[in-house]
Amino acid sequence: MELTGEYRIAAPRQQVWEALNDAEVLQACIPGCQELEKTSDTEMLAKVTLKIGPVKATFGGEVELVNIDAPKSYTIQGEGKGGIAGFAKGSADVVLAEDGDDTILTYNASAEVGGKLAQLGNRLIQSTARKLAAAFFDNFHERLNQSTPEDA
Amino acid sequence: MYPTKYHKPASISDAVALLAGNDEAMILGGGQTLLATMKQHLAAPSDLVDIRAIKGMSGISTSDTALTIGAATTHADVAASKEVKKLCPALADLASHIGDPAVRSQGTIGGSIANNDPAADYPAAMLALAATIVTNKREIAADDFFLGQFTTALEEDEIITAVKVNAATKAAYAKFAQPASLFAMVGVFVAKGAAGVRVAITGAGDDGVFRHAGLEAALTADWSDSAVNEVAISADGLMSDLHGSAEYRANLIRVMAKRAVAAT
Repeated sequence: MELTGEYRIAAPRQQVWEALNDAEVLQACIPGCQELEKTSDTEMLAKVTLKIGPVKATFGGEVELVNIDAPKSYTIQGEGKGGIAGFAKGSADVVLAEDGDDTILTYNASAEVGGKLAQLGNRLIQSTARKLAAAFFDNFHERLNQSTPEDA
Repeated sequence: MYPTKYHKPASISDAVALLAGNDEAMILGGGQTLLATMKQHLAAPSDLVDIRAIKGMSGISTSDTALTIGAATTHADVAASKEVKKLCPALADLASHIGDPAVRSQGTIGGSIANNDPAADYPAAMLALAATIVTNKREIAADDFFLGQFTTALEEDEIITAVKVNAATKAAYAKFAQPASLFAMVGVFVAKGAAGVRVAITGAGDDGVFRHAGLEAALTADWSDSAVNEVAISADGLMSDLHGSAEYRANLIRVMAKRAVAAT
């Protein structure tokens, strides 16, 4: 399952890049993220609660930043186990391009689930993954646009 | 096994108090989705707040042109109701075809709407009939209520108490059921009334129930099944799964829309 999107962010690329590497920003933007703890410069431990209709599962797992080409691109990948509910893993290639004073962020994400969660069927998983990916980048976009002074 | 506490409050305020500050608590309606999910261990609420015993939650009342259906009214009761059959027979017909008899005798209209399963029948009726969803806090128009699959405008401690439905001049629901689950592969509810012509589709959309502007325009101009033939029905935004592709569902929308119009 492939998910893509593009955002224009009214902030310089360096600032967007720093935010993408800031555990606090990531925690605030990942939907349902309760904890995100940095264990090294590129590795984090995360706890994320996923809610799809009546289903509620909390995933514990690792998030890692790889393929780092600062300040242009990286891949953020994570894998978590949700106990009896199953497992989820996903990754997103994020690319930042400069466009005047703005930054164009594009992402190409993929997600996979297994275990009982997968029995929910493709119809739920695919549209939920798409929504979650969009929610993350929406939150990120909103947060950065807010934190940018008007005259920046 | 995991423990869960069962509560049966007698009033809305007691129910709200049980839900307050406890995000592991869940509201229990008829339990036709929630209990199955719990059996699968895909949900493990610490507390279940059964709202069916709250006074005024069940039953159907009417005025000359409108129905008020309590949130805890079962599908079987809606299907059998003389008032519903008289004022909005399409709704009684829809209720009579939800799931199987066990589901209909336990499942509730409020539960179905609050869950907003992308293949559930009631959301299509609420949207097409321009119903009003009444909660313990406010009244929400159906257009503002359904926000994508399994997502509604309801807040965490907000409880649906009733739905209000205006009688339509013409209305019908046609469903192509998935034979195993009896959920809609595609369900089309057509209605013509004070709110104009409205066509709502369930089961097909990638993000839950939606209205179809093309069908609404065509049926506003000419309420006939032949008018449906001229409408372009795009497969964009429709669901593909092991039961059928988006293109297949797009075709089913046309077929079900024609059947629904022909039935009015």
